[in-house]
Amino acid sequence: MAKKIIETPNTYPVLGRWMNWVDRPGNDRRIFQILIVICIASFSLEWTYEKHAYFDIESYKGFYAYYGFVMFAGLIFVATILRKLIKVRENFYGKKSIDTEDYPEDQIQRINHDA
Amino acid sequence: MLDLLHQVPTAFLFFLAAGVILLLPHGLMRNTVMLGLPIIAAFQVWTLGMGEFVTIPFFGFDLEFMRLDRLSRIFVLIFCLAAFLGNLFAWHLRDTTQQVAALVYAGSAIGAALSGDMISLFFYWEGTAIASVFLIWARGTEGSYWTGMRYLIIQITSGVILIAGVAMFYADTGSIAFEKMELGSLATWLIFLSFGMKCAFPLLHNWLQDSYPAATITGTVILSAFTTKLAVYALARGFAGTEILIYIGTVMALFPIFFAEIENDLRRVLAYSLNNQLGFMVVGVGIGTELALNGTASHAFAHILYKALLFMSVGAVMYRTGTSKASELGGLYRTMPKTAIFCLVGAASISAFPLFSGFITKSLTLSAVAHEHYTYIWLALVFASAGVLSHSGIKIPFFTFFAHDSGKRPAEAPLHMLLAMGITAFLCIFIGVFPNFLYSILPFDVDYDPYTMGHIAGQLQLLFFALLAFAIIYRRGLHPPELRAVNLDIDVIYRKFMPSVLSYIAFVIFSLFKGTSLLLRFSVIKLTSKLHHSHGPDSPRAASWPAGAMVISIAALLGLALFVIFFS
Repeated sequence: MAKKIIETPNTYPVLGRWMNWVDRPGNDRRIFQILIVICIASFSLEWTYEKHAYFDIESYKGFYAYYGFVMFAGLIFVATILRKLIKVRENFYGKKSIDTEDYPEDQIQRINHDA
Repeated sequence: MLDLLHQVPTAFLFFLAAGVILLLPHGLMRNTVMLGLPIIAAFQVWTLGMGEFVTIPFFGFDLEFMRLDRLSRIFVLIFCLAAFLGNLFAWHLRDTTQQVAALVYAGSAIGAALSGDMISLFFYWEGTAIASVFLIWARGTEGSYWTGMRYLIIQITSGVILIAGVAMFYADTGSIAFEKMELGSLATWLIFLSFGMKCAFPLLHNWLQDSYPAATITGTVILSAFTTKLAVYALARGFAGTEILIYIGTVMALFPIFFAEIENDLRRVLAYSLNNQLGFMVVGVGIGTELALNGTASHAFAHILYKALLFMSVGAVMYRTGTSKASELGGLYRTMPKTAIFCLVGAASISAFPLFSGFITKSLTLSAVAHEHYTYIWLALVFASAGVLSHSGIKIPFFTFFAHDSGKRPAEAPLHMLLAMGITAFLCIFIGVFPNFLYSILPFDVDYDPYTMGHIAGQLQLLFFALLAFAIIYRRGLHPPELRAVNLDIDVIYRKFMPSVLSYIAFVIFSLFKGTSLLLRFSVIKLTSKLHHSHGPDSPRAASWPAGAMVISIAALLGLALFVIFFS
């Protein structure tokens, strides 16, 4: 169904060509690995300073790491359930809302990059 | 010259400019006024010093138009900066309505922040409502017309409640001074409610998510700066240390993150995110200590910048592609790399990465909460910080500029937009790297170092492990996909349920009325025809009536009248 999109990096601006690195094959895995290394590095900071915690819970080693990970995953999980409860079709509010309206063409300037 | 400038209330400078630009042709001259004025206004406020400057008598009241202290000054300065950046972003605009509205709106917000009494506050309060709605209507579509109407009704209601509260406050205390108040009387509750409506308290919040995505591309950038931050200022001025605000603010910081996560329209995601950020500020006002109020003021300052930057980057994308729907976008970094980088700076700032503006301001509020030992509030706000990362930090840049390639290859944003985004991005980083610049203009003296090892390590862990969670969830395909859909929020009550209940009630009443009147008409017709049949000229009884019956009955009536007149 989805039409095949062709990468033509040589037509992108220089900055875009550099940033295109993220979409080269295998690099998504590499980014993930870098992220894991950064996570380990930030976790290991725990042993480099003395904590002055306001709360008991804060003084556990790696509290922020666990809390960030668990709560973020929980947030996405809850949001997924919430969507099931409150999602309605896009034209639910009809003409009295901008949800299905196109933005007026005379107020924008659609230009293609290679135009 | 400077003396003359100092005698004019800052708001009037903006109103004056709004009149002047009407006389100027579109283009360089008009835009120079639009950009130059906020700089002049900021210069005026900066050189004026502290005190109360312009007092005007009004029906026996003294209206204080220029109360400059350290609290109002920081808000006025950021409002001037926001007006400058918003107008620069809108350089291409050839729409007089929007240009005048932007100036009057900014002027009203600044005037309100400088008001020393609640009557001038009310005038400016309504001024922001009336001027800003034109930024929504300027879109010129049916949807934006109705959305603007809903927005206006709520904003004007807030003003009406405010003036009711002020009138009662005056009756109670004999004062109209806009100073710290205690919740207790109906008057102060009304004023509090009015501020709360503009501040998008939970359940009163939907005007924000409804209207901001409906405004024009440049209008939303302007809108995002003023109304809600004015309300935060008003709360900080009037209700600092009011404990209920801590709980209201926490709910505000929490609930929008779930809605933002599943929203498709990126400008609405940003509106939810704005709501969440206001929560942090409101908590700061609720704590009310010097550290907390510094947190609120600095957060408002930094927030106006990075939120404007995010609205600008999504606006630039919209300017080139015609849409702000996540489901239609993706992969735009290829041909809009500069906009993508500016968006990432905004995302890093709002997520409070160290060296970005959000970090040095949010940690003030969090420290203030921790300092007062509100454990659960603190935990909730730390969670909300991770939530900010999810929608503004990841969702906005990732689904617009990265993620799946939409195949769209729009040209880079126009130069003036890039310039506006570039300056804003620079300020976001500058404030983050040199916090003392912002700390020096806060309402109270700051003795605080955000860059301690504990803060940095904690924040990095929170953000990177949350990113890790996102990466794992996304790679496993468990992240909620971007869908063309609308999510119900509390506004479904007044946009759908109440109108349908009302039309149902109207239908019932109408049917009852129609049925009853039909029944009555039918029975009256039946009765008269019966009477006609039995007593009419053709009836059998008519045959036996004497010819003088009419004369006799008139004589009897006249006699009765005489009787009544005689005895009355």
